[in-house]
Amino acid sequence: MGLKADMKILVVDDMATMRKIIKNMLGQIGFTNITQADDGSTAWPLIEKANKEGVPYEFILSDWNMPKMSGLDLLKKMRATDEFKKTPFLMITAEAEQGNVVIAVKAGVSNFIVKPFSAQVLKEKIDKIFNS
Amino acid sequence: MELIDDPEIIEDFCKEAAGLFDELEEILEDLEEELEEDESGAKELEKFGQIIDRVMGSAQTIGAEEISRFCELGKVIGYKSSQTTDLPLLNVVVAILFDAVDLLRGMVTSLQSGNSKTLNGLSTKAFATRLKWLSNKFQNIDRASVESDVKYENNKKMSQSSIDDLMASLGL
Repeated sequence: MGLKADMKILVVDDMATMRKIIKNMLGQIGFTNITQADDGSTAWPLIEKANKEGVPYEFILSDWNMPKMSGLDLLKKMRATDEFKKTPFLMITAEAEQGNVVIAVKAGVSNFIVKPFSAQVLKEKIDKIFNS
Repeated sequence: MELIDDPEIIEDFCKEAAGLFDELEEILEDLEEELEEDESGAKELEKFGQIIDRVMGSAQTIGAEEISRFCELGKVIGYKSSQTTDLPLLNVVVAILFDAVDLLRGMVTSLQSGNSKTLNGLSTKAFATRLKWLSNKFQNIDRASVESDVKYENNKKMSQSSIDDLMASLGL
């Protein structure tokens, strides 16, 4: 694995099952430093806190549809802040419509992944984000 | 091992889905009461669409395709019917969605018990036909997913490969 195994990763999804699956996949790829949040609204304080402590998240994987703060709103919030303008952000969605993809790209998403996906597809997406 | 064969993941999914089905039924029960007065409660069906979308995403990922397809139909109906003011039709929607949640519960229970024969016995095809009929009732309503700020004409669903092409065309 070209990327460092202890890269600080935040997985944001309101479904515990999905968080577990994604964490397992990241583990299969070789990543070890994974934190979870159950909504954009709980992810944001974690992101801010980690940054203040000088150990910012280096990669965010977030679901789009969440009840309190969507993945898109979390992305917009991050991109509106100088510190997180360039934090790699992979958006996960159950279905993708062209309009939504364009909206997310305009908001500054790094890449998009559609459920269902395998650890291999996830790895390819991560490689693409960090090697582009 | 495929996710659908992982007993721990299946157990987690089934428990989580059961909790979300409770939430869906609460929405429908509240809406049933509100529809006795007027159609203003229909907006709650948007919330129904959001919640069933969560089950759909997990079902897709673990490979529970039939559950995922049912959830997708429920989601489309939820989002589309939230935009109508046709009171009699809304009452039909609520009744069918109650049945849909009930059927989904049965499908998840079958998945949990590993009994595919039970799943076949649930007559899901006949019910899927009813859901599709209802979905067609709303065919003149465009938005079948979560609301976004920008509207696109011909907003088509995309596969991972077509997304990759679009992202590439946008320089990503």
